[in-house]
Amino acid sequence: MNNTAQKTETTVIDATAYAATTEAIRTEAAKLLTEGKVAAVVGYIPGRRKGTAIPGIVTDPEQAKDLLFSPACVNNLALYLTKAKKEVSKKGRLAIVAKGCDMRALAGLMGESQLKREDVVIIGVACAGVHGSGIHPAEPLTSATIARKCRECTVHEPTGADLVCGKVPTLPELIAVEQEELAKLEAMTPQERWAYWKEQFSRCVRCMACRQVCPFCYCEQCLCDRNRPQAVDSSPRPAGNMGWHIVRAMHLAGRCAGCAECERACPMDIPLNLLNRKMAQELKELYGHEAGLEAKEKGPLAEYKEDDDQSFIK
Amino acid sequence: MHATKQKHDFEPKIIAFVCTWCTYAGADLAGTSRMQYPSNVRVLKFPCTGRIDPVFILRAFQKGADGVLVSGCHPGDCHYMAGNFHARRRFAAFRKLLEFVGVDLNRLQFSWVSAAEGGKWVEVVTELTERVRAMGPMKEFKELELEECWSGKIDTAELEEAYKAIT
Amino acid sequence: MPKTITEQNLRLLIDSLIKEGKRVVGPKQAGTMVLYEPLTAGNELTLGTLPRRSAKEAFFPVSEAILSYEKSKDGVKIEDVNTKAFPETVLLGALPCDAAAPQILDAVFSWDYKDEFFLERRRRTTIIGLACTSCDDACFCTMVGLSPTETRGSDLFLTPLQGGGYGCEVVTEKGEALLARFPQLFEEKAEVKLVAPAAPEGEKVDLAKVKAWLNDHFEDGMWEEIATRCAGCGACAFLCPACHCFDIVDEGTEAKGTRRKNWDACGFSKFTNHASGHNPRDVQNKRYRNRVMHKFKYYDDKFGQTLCTGCGRCIRACPVGIDIAAILAEIMKYE
Repeated sequence: MNNTAQKTETTVIDATAYAATTEAIRTEAAKLLTEGKVAAVVGYIPGRRKGTAIPGIVTDPEQAKDLLFSPACVNNLALYLTKAKKEVSKKGRLAIVAKGCDMRALAGLMGESQLKREDVVIIGVACAGVHGSGIHPAEPLTSATIARKCRECTVHEPTGADLVCGKVPTLPELIAVEQEELAKLEAMTPQERWAYWKEQFSRCVRCMACRQVCPFCYCEQCLCDRNRPQAVDSSPRPAGNMGWHIVRAMHLAGRCAGCAECERACPMDIPLNLLNRKMAQELKELYGHEAGLEAKEKGPLAEYKEDDDQSFIK
Repeated sequence: MHATKQKHDFEPKIIAFVCTWCTYAGADLAGTSRMQYPSNVRVLKFPCTGRIDPVFILRAFQKGADGVLVSGCHPGDCHYMAGNFHARRRFAAFRKLLEFVGVDLNRLQFSWVSAAEGGKWVEVVTELTERVRAMGPMKEFKELELEECWSGKIDTAELEEAYKAIT
Repeated sequence: MPKTITEQNLRLLIDSLIKEGKRVVGPKQAGTMVLYEPLTAGNELTLGTLPRRSAKEAFFPVSEAILSYEKSKDGVKIEDVNTKAFPETVLLGALPCDAAAPQILDAVFSWDYKDEFFLERRRRTTIIGLACTSCDDACFCTMVGLSPTETRGSDLFLTPLQGGGYGCEVVTEKGEALLARFPQLFEEKAEVKLVAPAAPEGEKVDLAKVKAWLNDHFEDGMWEEIATRCAGCGACAFLCPACHCFDIVDEGTEAKGTRRKNWDACGFSKFTNHASGHNPRDVQNKRYRNRVMHKFKYYDDKFGQTLCTGCGRCIRACPVGIDIAAILAEIMKYE
């Protein structure tokens, strides 16, 4: 996946504001834990390697000082509030550190009755962006290292959180790489697109990282894991891989929050977010739906209007 | 008198996913009225188009269908009230996904055929069959079935035979 | 006198092997990454970057057919895969962490069942290892007793030389045989100046101490602490040179199809699902605990070896930042 901007000159994004964000998160987390308002805070803590930020579940107010926010905070922590990670919510009431993209996932989960707003304290963060896939966490945040999804972000300062930590610094002009790639694909012929996706999926080894990090893939048993009936062949071969990605994109249509974790998690650099973005685009065009920061009771494919488009039906 | 059936080189396999209450009945009517239509279509009966999971369409193409037809009750006439409304949205989204991945949408047809529309059934099936016949067999998914990652590929005659025999 | 080979001759070696009809697998640029793949020409060899996936695919394919079946009125016909049809292969440019792994796996694949799919491929492959001159902070081969210049597992071992070219060390008879077939491509030099090897951070871990700790701490709270984060994907297992679990599936129809052997991972939630529905490793931290136990205790119990070469791929690939080197360091802190 090409993460570098076309410009030869890269602009550094001032991430010194993140220090203030970190302080604010630590203060709030310590307060919530000390006052017993939450049993655990799901946030980011440092990893062993320099600059890494990994998901951490803090239960002791003393540990709150481990929490941080930096451009390396790539994970969507909403994953830990889903049915797939039941062991976390079993601890009790939770607080979660959430960027704007993560909050869209939270809103979606609330809409699908997977989460109750009153059961979670949302520590929102004002975020200029995070690193792209494959970028070393110790690297500075620049127009070259910033994630593709962040270039077109509209939720730098999220609304609807219990509080928002930090302020967004001024951002440079960023090339919307994903939008360009999407347009390029749409301009191709079906045969060219088939060849493109065939090549991309030939690298897939069915590690299921895309599914496992997705906050919306919380089915207790995935359709594609069943063999009676076998919906999609499980072998990591081009045939089954094509089926798997098509089915997943369809199951996420209208639900996907656009956090692009699937693309980041993919060890084979497959541009999975393009599929999800395409579906989001279509659903916006067809039904005016957009994944937002407000919980909607019904997604676009869970409801209908009597005058829905049927121009494609004879 | 029946017209003599034309001989063709390529007989496309058309899979039709239809709802019991409208399209299936419409197809029945076409039959009892002795209307002639291409026998390329294999009909799969579902209680409602709302039951038709997009993965069935995908599976049909993967397992050798050259064309797929999905047909049900007209909006407002669904036996289960709203099944076809949900299906309408689902298929609108799914066909866009298939198109994005590189499937030629001319092979995929959706229609509303009521129990009284025997004639429309004949029209829809014939049109799709002839259109797909002109397009030729759907090679994309079949070719994919034969592909193997380099590590698992063995260039032996026996394995080639085994693979060719599957599809 | 040490043998050397120039950069150009190395490429020529590849071309010659291909001309002979051998399959040459080596690091090759594949889009945004380098992967071990069959080469079609010497100039495709891309050295200097750790390939994203390990070289285990050369012996243990991602997915392979193991038999085909066909039902007819005369009964069921089953065709085995002819293992004699596996191509003669040279794995060239395998970094020490990748070259050492197949030897570790030999034990389990020739244990209670001789897995000819793996063993025959091993017999037919010659491994030319390559020393590492650069590394990143995820590499930890030195922590598990390997090093950037470790020759274990290679038949021939190349070390980059100052000024270009490679020093070539014969490690096994197989390597000697390969060298002997291309005398014109190798030179003898009185003295060679090697490029300094990479220096991964991390001191050697006392693997016996780790194993002893694992023995006594099956129920330790640490597992819940680290492993709750685990998302349950197979990225670590699939990229690992030493992980070797597989699933057997039948594909096709009732009338005809193939039986396949596919990569599987112990991190998947249904990995230990029984036919009764009972799942002994039902929670993620139990599954992650199993991964660490298998690598640093169970495999040693059975075969006297550690099932990890410190390549660091699991650390780089883990979407939720689980770091096995950090876990080893953590365990070492106890007592």
